[in-house]
Amino acid sequence: MGSELLSGFRMLDLADEKGALGSKIFADMGADVIKVEPPQGCSTRRIPPFLDDLPDPDRSLYFIAYQAGKRSVTLNLGSPDGRALLEDLVRKSDFLLESFPVGYMESLGLGYDRLTELNPRIIHTSVTPFGDTGPGRNYKAADIVSWAAGGPMFLMGDEGRPPLEMALPQAGLHAGAEAAVASLLAHYSREIEGQGQRVVIDMQACVLWTLMNEQAMPILHGDYIRRTGMYYTATGTRRRLVYACKDGYISTVLAGGSGVGAISMKGLVEWMAARGFAADWMVAKDWTTWVPGILMKATEQDRDEIADLEERVQRFFNTMTKREIYAEALKRRILLAPVATAADIADDEQLKARNYFVRVEHDTLGRTLTLPGAFAKFSATPVGPGRRAPRLGEHNAEVWGELLRIDGARLGRLRAIGAI
Amino acid sequence: MRRYALEGIHVLDFSWVGVGPITTKYLADNGAEVIRVESLARPDILRLAPPWKDAKPGIDTSQFFASFNTSKRSITLDLGKPRARELVLKLLPWADIVAESFTPKALRKWELDYEHLRALKPDLIMLSTCMQGQTGPNALYPGFGQLMAALSGYYHISGYNPGEPPCPPYGAYTDFIAPRFAACALLAALDYRRRTGRGQYIDMSQYEAALHNLAPALVDYFASGRVAGPAGNHSERYAPHGAYRCADLDGHERWLALAVESEDEWRGMLAAMGNPPADSRFATMAARMENRAALDQFVGALVRERDADELTVALQAAGVAAYPVQNCVDIHRDDNLEAFGFWHWLDHKVTGPSPYEGLAYRMSRTPGELRAPGPALGQHNDEVFGEMLGLDAAEIARLKEERVIF
Repeated sequence: MGSELLSGFRMLDLADEKGALGSKIFADMGADVIKVEPPQGCSTRRIPPFLDDLPDPDRSLYFIAYQAGKRSVTLNLGSPDGRALLEDLVRKSDFLLESFPVGYMESLGLGYDRLTELNPRIIHTSVTPFGDTGPGRNYKAADIVSWAAGGPMFLMGDEGRPPLEMALPQAGLHAGAEAAVASLLAHYSREIEGQGQRVVIDMQACVLWTLMNEQAMPILHGDYIRRTGMYYTATGTRRRLVYACKDGYISTVLAGGSGVGAISMKGLVEWMAARGFAADWMVAKDWTTWVPGILMKATEQDRDEIADLEERVQRFFNTMTKREIYAEALKRRILLAPVATAADIADDEQLKARNYFVRVEHDTLGRTLTLPGAFAKFSATPVGPGRRAPRLGEHNAEVWGELLRIDGARLGRLRAIGAI
Repeated sequence: MRRYALEGIHVLDFSWVGVGPITTKYLADNGAEVIRVESLARPDILRLAPPWKDAKPGIDTSQFFASFNTSKRSITLDLGKPRARELVLKLLPWADIVAESFTPKALRKWELDYEHLRALKPDLIMLSTCMQGQTGPNALYPGFGQLMAALSGYYHISGYNPGEPPCPPYGAYTDFIAPRFAACALLAALDYRRRTGRGQYIDMSQYEAALHNLAPALVDYFASGRVAGPAGNHSERYAPHGAYRCADLDGHERWLALAVESEDEWRGMLAAMGNPPADSRFATMAARMENRAALDQFVGALVRERDADELTVALQAAGVAAYPVQNCVDIHRDDNLEAFGFWHWLDHKVTGPSPYEGLAYRMSRTPGELRAPGPALGQHNDEVFGEMLGLDAAEIARLKEERVIF
């Protein structure tokens, strides 16, 4: 069990929700990820919602999803003996990932200088909200605050209403995944040269990297993009991205162009014509050059056509369900997608055919839960969540006993003084 | 000592648009030699997409393309032509990694798929990234990130209230999730090959990668049937939590994002906002959660005439997470991004100097960097076909004339 891809490498994970996805990617790839939790448990155990709405450190859905495949030990970093144990772990590890406030590790005497003294091979990756040198290096960031600072929030929402974030916070996930990439870059270098390094992740910058390069608009086009709800407006024309249907919404971009765009438009118009929804001009149109408001500015005639087309498509989609529209679009190669809910995704034929979701036994909860599976299919070293997220301190005995070879008497003492 | 983490790694990159190029950019900015194989016969649509220099479309004027393809070289080959295939195969021994993002049957048609390439280079690492993966009933269905964001659930959890139409995340959101997974895949596969001598094939469905950023909601649905929906800016844990309008700045709207996660932070927030009279509706976190609509109005009124930057400093000093909701001008004047050295000014051959998104990570020993802006189409034809493959100038000219190099 467990992937061979990174087997034999160990990561100490002291991160909260700003890093959890990063160490999860490592666990999926077969690294031995040890979550080093404070005695009261990692803060991600308290993120709602909870399984069956029962608040409990083992029932946070966030924890179940993003801490799967990791081991858990408890350690009190406030105690000198606890810190000494972390030092022992560092000697036997390849990576240390953390998201403490900037300077906290140094204040414990566990800054990178110390870590590299203990183990020159160690890669120490810190996720920071705003970097480690600027005026905001000690700023706090909740997920929504990073979403705002990096730019995507300003672009999301209706004109005249507040900027929005998604209902599932995303900033920490981007930062965590970036931490995994950068740690592996350092890893490749280390495996050749033998020397680890310090890696700092800037969460604000990670979020900024979702901006579709709109950062360059003010410089190249002279103005910045405003949020426009369900419309795309980068070229000065409002193009609708969302249409209502019988039981929800459909997303599409009505544009032709060479290649798939024209095939898509032609397919849609033929389908609409067969059902009496297409105008004559639509049937006669050469769609291969028609991309107004997407890749080019729209002329007066384009604008009239856009308005007529979007209205007719809306009327057409109103007659069907998401599933009916998507099924026919797949056949006719019309570029659209249902605005899918978790229920739609769970029922999706494509994901089923690829056996995407995996069932993971959660003996501690008396349940088998279904988790997203491999993030990619590897021909030689399949990856994916191997086992459920750990209970708090579940692997104390095996890590302290087997890995660090601490005998029972010393373990007892460490427990008694609150180090573990 | 090595200057870059991936010095000596070679990548033949047939991918295009977002996910593939952003993935190989991680490698290129860290010293790997990445050659983009493009063609005027089917130009990367990013080359045709805004923003363009002076807002003028052109094959080499898009910064969208230039930004996602820093530190790479570009050659052009019309892969539909047999001679082009021969040239690809001449480059193959050089490559450690082949990356591509066609729909699944294109490379099979040209006999450049993994089975064919592996026969010639057994330890090849190959990444195929497409919308829905190489197999399954929808493998051949084309698409792009904007639609993928709807298909993989992000549109549905975006909006002010259940029942209102979705207010989607900006642009091709999932194009910015999948590359981090794909880069991890390639880096780990490189290390696995170093240890074992074995290459492999990586089939990445952008859909499947993207769903990882929605994992708790999916686990929840399978376990309980609950369907996550839009929630405005409300948190399930904390209030206040949202974006609040501040005083305009030079006629531009300014908002402040704010999250108050404890009683201490609540007191800190009130102090930073001038200690307004106590209101029993907001006395505890439970009360604030209960009276969220009134609370949002209360906070909104406190900040409406205030400067968002000054409030940020005051709130952060009081231990409260807060920051202005920044637009694309603000992020260029951001002191924290500046201190991190985020923006890189690069001088593009056609479009001239402009700021590029830099790296969101900093490595102490082998720092990555944007070594050059994205290449002009075919900028390195002579260098690659001439110097690397040893074709003479006459033959290169002939291949250009025959539109093989095209």
